[in-house]
Amino acid sequence: MENINIEAQERSPEVNFDFSANTFLLKGESYPEDVTDFYGPVIGKLEEYLDELTGGKVHFTFELIYFNSSTAKVLMGLFEILDEAAANDNDVLITWIFEEDDDNMEEMGEEFGEDLENAKFELKKIAV
Amino acid sequence: MLAEEMYEFRGYLQERGIIFCYSGYMTEEVLSGIGSAMKKKLELEKTEKSVSRTLFSIFVEQVQNVIRYSAEKITGDNDNNESARELRYGVLTVGEKDGMYFVSCCNLILKSDVERLDASLNHINTLDKDGLKLLYKETLKGDTPEGSKGAGVGFIDIARRAREFKHDFMDIDSDYSYFCLIAYL
Repeated sequence: MENINIEAQERSPEVNFDFSANTFLLKGESYPEDVTDFYGPVIGKLEEYLDELTGGKVHFTFELIYFNSSTAKVLMGLFEILDEAAANDNDVLITWIFEEDDDNMEEMGEEFGEDLENAKFELKKIAV
Repeated sequence: MLAEEMYEFRGYLQERGIIFCYSGYMTEEVLSGIGSAMKKKLELEKTEKSVSRTLFSIFVEQVQNVIRYSAEKITGDNDNNESARELRYGVLTVGEKDGMYFVSCCNLILKSDVERLDASLNHINTLDKDGLKLLYKETLKGDTPEGSKGAGVGFIDIARRAREFKHDFMDIDSDYSYFCLIAYL
């Protein structure tokens, strides 16, 4: 699978999917005009890739500063895809990075993380 | 005469603590523009970061509701993409009164939607923190409601972040009602 590199824009995050290294990153702000337009193709590729993967070591990092409620729905789906990959004999780690003074973003991470049954999850605080 | 009239209008807004006011067709560009002016204003005044984050989130959800759902719209026929060929009208105000920030949005809706919307907002308003969290997650996991272009979780998101919110309807004619939602931080 060809790697995906999309630069961050004012309203959409940086997307960095390295399929050869199994490292994946979403970083920045997310309130695109149309979430399906933005996320549909990249998540489609990820899903396609993970469907075939077994015995892999996958690391997905979320470093979001702000996201709207439409993006939240996308993130929920993404967590489900990653959890499924973990159930499929892969070692999956999800890292949720938040700025130290952003309680809301920490809470969001906890909420997304608490439903995971197979993937490993960590919250990581960074200085502002 | 003109100045007098417009100064009166300015006074009307100021009395109500209104800092930003936009009445017209809402687009994603309008959202970006007002959003960045708002962020800058809060930054210059060294507003607490948690306050400006919350204000911005509620602002985005409110404005995107108008862009997607306002029943007052003009539609062209020159494009296959729905969002590209329509404009929807609404009134947004952002202000600060008695030390509390607020974001309000008003727009026309179909009368046939009033009952469902009223019930759903009343329900959200009875929920406590844990109840809201539960409903939020259920909605995120469920299928997108029919006729919804977003996640359908915008109102729950507003309720979770706001100190309180109120909504109101007014009958306009046999087809339309006016819908207002104000959220206080």
